[in-house]
Amino acid sequence: MTAIFPSAEWLKGLEEKLNTDERYSEIAKNWEGDLFFYIEPEGNLKEQLTFYLDLWHGKCRKVDYKPSPETYPNPVFTLTASYDNITAVLTGKLNPMTAMMTSKLKVRGSMGYMMRNVPTVLDFVRCAQEVTKEIM
Amino acid sequence: MQPILTINLTTGETGKYLVPQEWEKDFLGGASLAARILYDTLTAALNPLEPESPLLFMTGPLTGTSGPTTGRFVICGKSPATGLWAESNMGGFWGPELRAAGYDGLWITGKATAPVYIWVEDNRLEVKKAAHLWGTNTYSAQDKIKEEVGVKSARVCVIGQAGEKQVLFASIMCDHGRMAGRTGMGAVMGSKNLKAIAVHGESEIPIFNLPKYKSLRSEANRKLRDDNEAKVIREVGTGGAANYAEYLGAMPVKYYSSGVFPDVDSISGAKMTDTILTGRSACQGCVIACGRVVKLPKDSTKRKGPEHETMVGFGANLLNNNLEAIVDLGELCDRYGMDTISASNTIGLAFHLYERGIITKEDTGGIELNWGDVDAIEKLVRLTGSREGIGDLLAQGSKRFGAHFGAEDEAVQVNGLEVAYHDPRGVSGMALSYATSPRGACHNQSDYFFVDWGHSLEEIGIEFLDRHAQAEKAANVAKHQDWRTVDNSVVWCIFANVAAGDKAALINAACGLDWSVEDMMKFGERGWNLKRAINNRMGLNRSNDKLPKALLTPSPDGGSEGFVPDLEGMLYAYYEARGWDQETGKPTKEKLTELGLEDVAKDLWG
Repeated sequence: MTAIFPSAEWLKGLEEKLNTDERYSEIAKNWEGDLFFYIEPEGNLKEQLTFYLDLWHGKCRKVDYKPSPETYPNPVFTLTASYDNITAVLTGKLNPMTAMMTSKLKVRGSMGYMMRNVPTVLDFVRCAQEVTKEIM
Repeated sequence: MQPILTINLTTGETGKYLVPQEWEKDFLGGASLAARILYDTLTAALNPLEPESPLLFMTGPLTGTSGPTTGRFVICGKSPATGLWAESNMGGFWGPELRAAGYDGLWITGKATAPVYIWVEDNRLEVKKAAHLWGTNTYSAQDKIKEEVGVKSARVCVIGQAGEKQVLFASIMCDHGRMAGRTGMGAVMGSKNLKAIAVHGESEIPIFNLPKYKSLRSEANRKLRDDNEAKVIREVGTGGAANYAEYLGAMPVKYYSSGVFPDVDSISGAKMTDTILTGRSACQGCVIACGRVVKLPKDSTKRKGPEHETMVGFGANLLNNNLEAIVDLGELCDRYGMDTISASNTIGLAFHLYERGIITKEDTGGIELNWGDVDAIEKLVRLTGSREGIGDLLAQGSKRFGAHFGAEDEAVQVNGLEVAYHDPRGVSGMALSYATSPRGACHNQSDYFFVDWGHSLEEIGIEFLDRHAQAEKAANVAKHQDWRTVDNSVVWCIFANVAAGDKAALINAACGLDWSVEDMMKFGERGWNLKRAINNRMGLNRSNDKLPKALLTPSPDGGSEGFVPDLEGMLYAYYEARGWDQETGKPTKEKLTELGLEDVAKDLWG
């Protein structure tokens, strides 16, 4: 399933993809941690948008579209990016490692865990790219 | 700027060298200014271990100003390992202390008749006897000297037994394990019978526009604290990227013969954080604090934890997955005062040659060299530091060690400096970084692996290219070298991910300049070309821009399996980007003139 980013359908599509993709399931089999995304308004995105994904041992246990931060007060990772930067990653114009190393994607959480699991991070991005039909 | 303190240890004569005003702007400080000052002295005929060989300790205009990672200084001269330009910088607190004593540099020549140390306190210099300190390790020598001068807050640069015995990769240490590791500056210090330099000062460090500088540094430090890379380094140290490097096939394994180390996690910075880390240490004013403080189960001593190069060099490189042993081996090198990169690389070559039957137990004094054998590694470290048995050969570095056994081409080195632990078959930009660095196979003159990992620098025109791209990244590598030349002059730590515009603004406020980013990059290009010219005058030519056989052999496995850099193609594009002569490898007359180096152009081209 593919969908337009950043819609609720896109997030559901990503959940489905993460739960059916064999490669992701293998690479991410040791990953334990939920993600809370803040996408800052820019271009076609007029208001801040939030996503939540609970990733565990190669599967996605839950997603939440536009959640309030209070709903998930202690995510393992909080990721913040501008709309242009996140869409650049999803369309392959911006390397995800470049986004992290240049702080275009800000990360709060255990950087050691993130660096230990770069292959998982990169494969998560691959799945997200494959779900992205087009950008709003 | 403040004067440079000079001393001739043969005559005891001291003085103050005033840097010509026009050089202050064109060469600023640190390594670039040192290159300009030493330009006439560094000749092909100069023996780096003879008394006339210079040893120049240089700070930069931001050293000690509490800007973002500006606690550093650099030591320059001629390398006994390479016979080329020598430059090795370190952090800690010694550089800031020297500036607070009223000097921006210390220029040492000559040789004392017996071991001595230098004591600089504000405007006073004293040469003190050090025969009783000769043979002591780097840590205890620091403690004893502080006690003798009676100033607990004094800072001491010191050599260990390796420097005294002129191991060609002997280092100079200050504080708790901060090292000027590369190019054998510790051997030059030892050749002068100089055990240590202790400094203490209480003056204000001059800053041209202090209010503006304070405001800029506050903002730059705030941004740096929030930077992702800085967070990684603070949390897990420089070894934090071990898993990623191995995943890419960019971590040398078993003396550069493999790109796969299944036990990588056991030697990673993350593992250290999870198990033995008890604290972090920082250089003067640094908000990152990359230094690791660890405690091993065997005792309650707080020790320095290893950084990336030591972890890989004494880990994956030797098939050793024992992190605690790596801590011990790194500390042993520190106590002897030896560069862990060159030491572990040369020991790796010994294991490699032993496996092939080129050396045997007869050569090693009965030690069996089986990969991963920590006891054998430790014995070789001790023998190297004390230059006993086979250690006397190891102490000469991998090039000479290999040549002694008829296997020089097996040594993974460039121009006599051992390759650091970033395999260019995994991050191709390092092929040019190693081949063209002015000090041999160095990763600090351009740590281009960061760019190949994904760290683009758009502000200075360095975009991210595929990590296996070839000639198309040559111009980027040249720019990156210029960028690092700025850092090595200021003297900035390469871990400071500070934007180019912010760097230029800090330099301007500190020095009273009005540089744009372009001006700053032009300054970097000038310094790079000057060092190249110095090396050209000392005999370097295009044939020296090379890589060892191992790195020109396709990667056998892992994340870069089958890849090999096209060095010749990359070099051609690099010379074009640099404006260097394709035949000789010298900067052209036009390029040198464009950079304001007319006298150098005349020397090289007539």
